[in-house]
Amino acid sequence: QVSVLYFARSAELAGLRCETLWVPRQVTALQLWEEIVKVHPRLAVIRDQVVFAVRQEYVLLGDQLLVLQPGDEVAIIPPISGG
Amino acid sequence: MDESEDVPKDFIKLKSEKLSVDEVSELVISPCCGAVSLFIGTTRNNFEGKKVIHLEYEAYTAMAESEIKKICRDVRQKWPSVQHIAVHHRLGVVPITEASVIIAVSSPHRAESLEAVMYCINTLKASVPIWKKEIYEDEYSWKENKECFWANSEK
Repeated sequence: QVSVLYFARSAELAGLRCETLWVPRQVTALQLWEEIVKVHPRLAVIRDQVVFAVRQEYVLLGDQLLVLQPGDEVAIIPPISGG
Repeated sequence: MDESEDVPKDFIKLKSEKLSVDEVSELVISPCCGAVSLFIGTTRNNFEGKKVIHLEYEAYTAMAESEIKKICRDVRQKWPSVQHIAVHHRLGVVPITEASVIIAVSSPHRAESLEAVMYCINTLKASVPIWKKEIYEDEYSWKENKECFWANSEK
């Protein structure tokens, strides 16, 4: 059970800023994305632009295996524009 | 003399109130330093012919602070003589011409602080989870920094 945070365009598409989701303990970044898109299909349009932040470290949407603990924070990170 | 002024410090703040150049410069001034370099990012009133009404910033605050801390750590590795570093970024609505970010770095001599400030703003734009929305007269747009480190890697 992880906390998923949505920012910027991803928050607009998902319609919310945070929620708790049940996900497998071991999952690739891409699989995790697919799980989230099942809940919020409108997110599919930004798939090529986003990365994750898992426990506040960036993770590209790929085959990297994530080992998630209950309560871990996963954030959807659209292209940034600080500064 | 107050010896604690000599301990190098990082001053990182994300806030919704107006940023102050005086406040940020005073944070980094130190008796051992002959140079303070500053960068101020201000908001332009136009983009591709469209009139910008104002900007809105949001952040993944906890991670933004930790990514800025990493930048400070990298600065100190590359320029060991750097004394203090201050990075203040505004969140929420930022009117035209007001500052969205102020970065100040102090060092004994000017070369290091000038280079370190440039490194800070360039790296901030590539890696810190902060987002800017430009509000025009009849629409808005989420901006994307070309420096964003994953921007081209996933295409």
